[in-house]
Amino acid sequence: MIQFNVQKKLDAPGGEMLLDLQGEFPQGQLITIFGESGAGKTSLLRIFAGLLMPETGKIIVNQQTWFDNRKGINLSPQKRKIGFVFQDYALFPNMTVQKNIEFAAKNRQNKKEITDLFDLFNLGELLNKKPETLSGGQKQRVALARAIASKPEILMLDEPLSALDHVMRSKLQDYILTVHKKYNLTTFLVSHDVGEIFKMADKVIVLDNGKITNQGTPSEVFSNKHISGKFQFTGEIIRIEKEDVIYVVTVLIGNSMVKVVSEEKEIHQFSIGDKVLVASKAFNPIIQKIQSK
Amino acid sequence: MNTLRGKITSINTEGHLSLISISVKDVTFKSIVIETPQSVDYLKTGNTINVLFKETEVVIGKGKIQQISMQNQVPCTIKNIEEGKLLSRIDLDFQNNEIVSIITTNAIRNLDLKVDDKVVAMIKTNEIMLSEL
Repeated sequence: MIQFNVQKKLDAPGGEMLLDLQGEFPQGQLITIFGESGAGKTSLLRIFAGLLMPETGKIIVNQQTWFDNRKGINLSPQKRKIGFVFQDYALFPNMTVQKNIEFAAKNRQNKKEITDLFDLFNLGELLNKKPETLSGGQKQRVALARAIASKPEILMLDEPLSALDHVMRSKLQDYILTVHKKYNLTTFLVSHDVGEIFKMADKVIVLDNGKITNQGTPSEVFSNKHISGKFQFTGEIIRIEKEDVIYVVTVLIGNSMVKVVSEEKEIHQFSIGDKVLVASKAFNPIIQKIQSK
Repeated sequence: MNTLRGKITSINTEGHLSLISISVKDVTFKSIVIETPQSVDYLKTGNTINVLFKETEVVIGKGKIQQISMQNQVPCTIKNIEEGKLLSRIDLDFQNNEIVSIITTNAIRNLDLKVDDKVVAMIKTNEIMLSEL
């Protein structure tokens, strides 16, 4: 169980902002943090990691107090069992992939556990390479393996996939889900991608101006009502065109563009950039094989 | 999207499928869904829910309809027709509820549809979605 209730004043672009966050999450959940830039998402992760000290409040992780300003407790980042992956890889450039991971593992993992990690992340061929020779996706795979090597209880992912193309993104999402489950981690993922959130998250917390304004499961947060259609996606409107008496709305869902027909009476509520739920019944779509296993 | 509000009158479940009857005014709508009263809270007899269906899935029949598999047959009056080159929109009145149908302009001409005509709007059971209020 992770419980936190922290306050800190931050200098934000629009002036001073009070970060005031409370929450409680059971061990093993994957929680995404969603919000505009400057809402306090990264600050929340940095507070957990011990890189940013709150002015008041408490952080308790599995009954261990990490921070309590009244009792004067503030565990150093090294003592908090956290693995961190940032958008910009942050691997040690002078070390090979293998050394990067072993360095993070220190004495916490035995040889077998480290070899298992190499296998889990398919790092075999990359082990002797230096980070600069790797692709973005490979670097993030290494960064993720390195974060896991330190045997964290909490994994903090600050938009780790936002610089990657969609194929790589999807693969890395699968890696994250695999390690999240395998090591029973509590994972915090900062993400702007609603599709990614639906794929990965147990819970979403929405931050706005330093406060949690909404939280729940992805469907509770991003769709207003439960709707019975089983062919459901969320996406963003990128185009609206009038064709004859109907409107064709182009919606970006993950990396695919789909078109949905709309009509006069409902079209006024839609604008480019709106997040929308697209739903149909499971009975409508056809399914065709494009490649055998 | 056409939205009508109705009350669940019966639920017939088989495995993960349920056939739901919903009364809207004096017409019973039927919808088949991959949900059961166990999987979602709003499937309870007596509950008020929304019945949703796409304008482009509304079939229009005129005159005596002999035998047809469409379970949802809703008597309506045409209030307005907006003709396009290929597609047209028909606004229908169903006991003071609005239903919109989008069909081809050719179909409108073939059936000689006009404002104030009495017609039957038909929707397949598997085209109707349900949502909680």
